[in-house]
Amino acid sequence: MKETTDTVDTGKIRTTLNKNKAQISLSLKLCVHCTLCAESCFLYMHREKDPVYMPSHKFINSLGRLYKKKGNIDRKGLEEIREVVWDRCVLCTRCYCPMGIDIPGMIALTRGICRDQGVLPQFDEE
Amino acid sequence: MISLDLFHDFVRGPLALSAFLIFFTGTAYQVLRFFYLSQKIKKTTHNPFRLSPTTAVCAPPVKSTARRISFFKGTIAGVHPVMTVITSLFHTCLIAAPLFLLGHNNLIDESWGISFFSLPEGITDIMTVMVIGCSLFFLFRRIFSPRVRSITTLSDYLILLLTAMPFITGFLAFHQTTAYKPMIILHMLSGEIMLILLPFTKLVHMLFFFINRFLIPHENSFGRGTRTWYFGGPKFSFKRWYFGKKKFDIDNW
Repeated sequence: MKETTDTVDTGKIRTTLNKNKAQISLSLKLCVHCTLCAESCFLYMHREKDPVYMPSHKFINSLGRLYKKKGNIDRKGLEEIREVVWDRCVLCTRCYCPMGIDIPGMIALTRGICRDQGVLPQFDEE
Repeated sequence: MISLDLFHDFVRGPLALSAFLIFFTGTAYQVLRFFYLSQKIKKTTHNPFRLSPTTAVCAPPVKSTARRISFFKGTIAGVHPVMTVITSLFHTCLIAAPLFLLGHNNLIDESWGISFFSLPEGITDIMTVMVIGCSLFFLFRRIFSPRVRSITTLSDYLILLLTAMPFITGFLAFHQTTAYKPMIILHMLSGEIMLILLPFTKLVHMLFFFINRFLIPHENSFGRGTRTWYFGGPKFSFKRWYFGKKKFDIDNW
């Protein structure tokens, strides 16, 4: 059994977010919610075109959520984000964005934030 | 109560000037900030994203019609043909119609004595109708397509309204279907609000489409990119430079 702490170090999350603030805010601003990225994700194509598998949806609901809350998130929220960045994305870096947003980079950054807090994918669950 | 004439003069004079000033300074700020936050990449010996066109992952190695068709089907125009055509039309008309409109060019000519060439009024009229039609398409897509609706926020509708408003009011003012004066004030006002908000809202994709697709190298970039973001912020910071340097010490001078 993996040891997990119930507290979240929001200060650390905020430091990481502030370090990459320019890129994150610009990427969130640049996403015009056109959903042209959807077809480039193979998970979207193979999971009955469920919108939660769209690259933009994943990006907005993981890093966008962290950024909008300025890092103030509880454990439950982080675990929801873990589901987004690990279960719904395999980081194959094939996403196409008309605006050229680096979606895999942003997902990787979110994974880093989650790892910092000890929120990791648990392969022994299912 | 301010009279309509006075408000008209205010919108026509100082507000228009400040809108253009804010637009140009905001644009310059965004571009300069990009160059400040990015660096020139060193020449790498191997960059998988910059292979020669014949060996790149999705480029056709042999030039045959079948290869070309299969290559085209993988591009965005092949995956979303309707959306590609409509969005291209929308953006072309959006930029071209106000720039080459006879009335606008007359105003510029009166003010500064120079102007662009103008398109015939019939053509700009069709362009305006096309912009309004494409906006309606985007609106219906936002409302009825479940995947677009899943990430739509209120700001998307507002941005769309902001973009379409100058064209709707301009069309109504040009054809004088309603009272001319309030409509032309609304037209100028909405255009100015759009210009002011352009560098600071989602409309900034006008600049960063070109910066991201041409200057930063990645898989979908056009041509060779030369710059990359500093991850973890820039190495040089004015704040650090100013507060970090030794202060002038008058006692030990």
